[in-house]
Amino acid sequence: MNIRISIKRFNPETDAQPQWAEYEVPARERMTVLETLMYLYENTDPTLAFRFGCRFHKCGLCAVEVNGRPRMACFTEVRDGMRIGPLGRMPVLRDLVIDRAGFFKGLRELELFIPEQKELSEPALIRQAEAHAKLLLCLECLSCNATCPEDGFLGKSLAGPYAFVKLAQLHFDPRNRIDRQGQARDLGLDKCLKCRKCYCVNGIDIQRQAIGVLAGD
Amino acid sequence: MLGAMIPASSIEKEDPRIPCGQESGMQVRKADVLVIGSGGAGVMAAVEAERAGASVIIVSKEPLGYGDTRISLGVMSVSPDPAIGDSEEAFVEDMIRGGDHLNDPGLVRVLVRGAMDAAINFEGFGHIFSRDDNGVLKRLELPPGGHRASRAILSPGVGISMGHAIRSAAARARSLVLEETLCSELLVCDGEVVGAQALQIATGEPIALLAKCTIVAAGGAGALYYPHTDCMPAVVGDSFSLGLAAGAELVDMEQVQFIPFGITHPPAMLGAPCGEPAMAGPFGRLLNNKGAVVLENIMPMTRAQVARIIVEEIRKGGATPHGGLLLDQRPNLENPNGQFFVTLLKKMGGPFLDIVRTAYGEKAANLEEPWDVLPSSHYNMGGLKTDEWCRTCVPALYACGQAQGGVMGGNRLGSTSLTEIFVFGKRAGRTAAGEAKGRRLAEEGVARQAIEKLKSLRGSRGASRPIVLKRALQRLMWEKVGPLRDGPGIEDALQGIQSIRGKAKDLCTSAVKPCNAELTDAIELTHMLAAAEATTISALERRESRGAHVRSDFPARDDENPVQNMVVQMRGSQCRVRRVEAGR
Repeated sequence: MNIRISIKRFNPETDAQPQWAEYEVPARERMTVLETLMYLYENTDPTLAFRFGCRFHKCGLCAVEVNGRPRMACFTEVRDGMRIGPLGRMPVLRDLVIDRAGFFKGLRELELFIPEQKELSEPALIRQAEAHAKLLLCLECLSCNATCPEDGFLGKSLAGPYAFVKLAQLHFDPRNRIDRQGQARDLGLDKCLKCRKCYCVNGIDIQRQAIGVLAGD
Repeated sequence: MLGAMIPASSIEKEDPRIPCGQESGMQVRKADVLVIGSGGAGVMAAVEAERAGASVIIVSKEPLGYGDTRISLGVMSVSPDPAIGDSEEAFVEDMIRGGDHLNDPGLVRVLVRGAMDAAINFEGFGHIFSRDDNGVLKRLELPPGGHRASRAILSPGVGISMGHAIRSAAARARSLVLEETLCSELLVCDGEVVGAQALQIATGEPIALLAKCTIVAAGGAGALYYPHTDCMPAVVGDSFSLGLAAGAELVDMEQVQFIPFGITHPPAMLGAPCGEPAMAGPFGRLLNNKGAVVLENIMPMTRAQVARIIVEEIRKGGATPHGGLLLDQRPNLENPNGQFFVTLLKKMGGPFLDIVRTAYGEKAANLEEPWDVLPSSHYNMGGLKTDEWCRTCVPALYACGQAQGGVMGGNRLGSTSLTEIFVFGKRAGRTAAGEAKGRRLAEEGVARQAIEKLKSLRGSRGASRPIVLKRALQRLMWEKVGPLRDGPGIEDALQGIQSIRGKAKDLCTSAVKPCNAELTDAIELTHMLAAAEATTISALERRESRGAHVRSDFPARDDENPVQNMVVQMRGSQCRVRRVEAGR
């Protein structure tokens, strides 16, 4: 049996607009979207571009849109008629590969790190809030930004739910010395207070655990 | 309570000392220190080099911080605790006994002495290891196999939270970060390393990186056995290939660690890790396809011993329809003395049990039915031979982390690789920054040939696609140089490698510029061939079973002769192996 899917293709060198292309792959046991993409690259179309990493839902590299919703390609079973595109609302380098470079630059611009620590001879006494540990399970797959409806965030290097998750992580870090709630307000957190549209593939409740925390709820 | 709140300021974001040149049509960047790789070892090296005053470039094949550290289990050894009767000497002994005496004792001592400092240093990146209710660093109740005392601490968010810390630390440092940029070769001038040539994946443009000192920290070669691996697929041996071609030595490359319990199906999950020997508990056992018991009392065995027995039984025809053996955990449920283990497993083994649940379902994850297991490649004990300050034998070339050999000998004890990356990352960064002061940058012309080579890769119209050759090589390595080896099989592998190398001279690649995976594959294929050959000739030369290297034609350890390391180096265009007495 074969499975038919559509993939949103785009090459900035030659295409003005992305285009949907149809493909067929032979089905196998519990085949995933990632396996389908790999099959196509290895057997059908050497130019197909997509990112992937660990294969086991641990690294966050293979997020794509499946039928319009963000999914990790590695842990999503493929179905006949699926439409697979790059994560929405992000610049596309080619096919399913979005431009991630801004996300590292953004860490610098917003100082999303703790200050240099003094050299210690013993491990510091630290109490880590459970909420902090939970936020650190963020896979940085960027699905949250892909589902954010706020146009005002587009074009800013690092605004949107991902930035709020990072800011909330630091807000909880006992070694942090920067006003992360203030940063969040400056980035437009107000727009997010009642929205609840951003989606996390790893089960973080962004509205409550990040946005609410930064808003001081 | 937080200290004084200050607004985020606009600090200088990137080191202004790193000039950007595009002279004579070449993209060139220059720095005191170039770090290749951006896992724990690479970023620690970069941060330390910068603290020591050097300008630094980090070049990373994936986005920054997406190496094997990010997908690790987050269990890390720290310094021995005298309060529980542990000592540095005991830790050193455990590692060397575990490593079957192939370890470089000097490197082991460095690791043990630096272990707590490494954890503290890494917490300074923004990480927090598990604490008790009083905020005191907490050690695991049960030490990983081979450790006589509890030395391991746990990252509460396993590898992914370490990934956040690594990215934060790299952002805090001012290094120039080149993400998704793949090194094709080191640049060598008069026998000294002067930088590296790389391809920027997003644009398809070459870039030359000139540096006074170069640190290789690009991890191991687990994916040489893809899909039989739990490592990132990008980890195909770049470190070993780059170093070898520049004249460096590799030590004990035949020592490849396979964790015994990997998932067999569905195909998408082949290779996923579902445990090490301790995961079998006191009463877990391995069954073959007839339901006969193949192995009991698994818990105290090393990863290599269990992997060997699984593959031997499979060769005898005992495999299940999914190609593995069955791990039967039911005796732990049934035996009253197994209860403590079941409780502990459910508390601590979450990441493993999640994988089991996804692959095999709820009953398997509840230990109520046996599940299929097959060894999966996990870690390279072998690697670039260095001294205690991470220097290779090539001037201006350093190695740290999994790229480096000699630390783990023939078998790595669980929890020591995270220690290794931070201890030696720090040393490599310091050494390189210090030695950069006495060195000069090479002329840009040194990269010209390497750039031409890269440009010729795109749009070539030869006979073989690089991905097809990659897959053939990975199959060959799994079948002939995997967890159970023999002389004729290893020789077949060598011939197979030469045949693939021949085909690799006549590649066919697409001409697309941005994100052309075939260019990545073509470069990786070169690295894989070098790493595979070094592994294979070392495996042929070691005519005994020692550590993770198991040969059915030499099933015993050779205790008659002095222990020997296998050292590989290029002689002209030939890869050669020689024996060196261990500990020398």
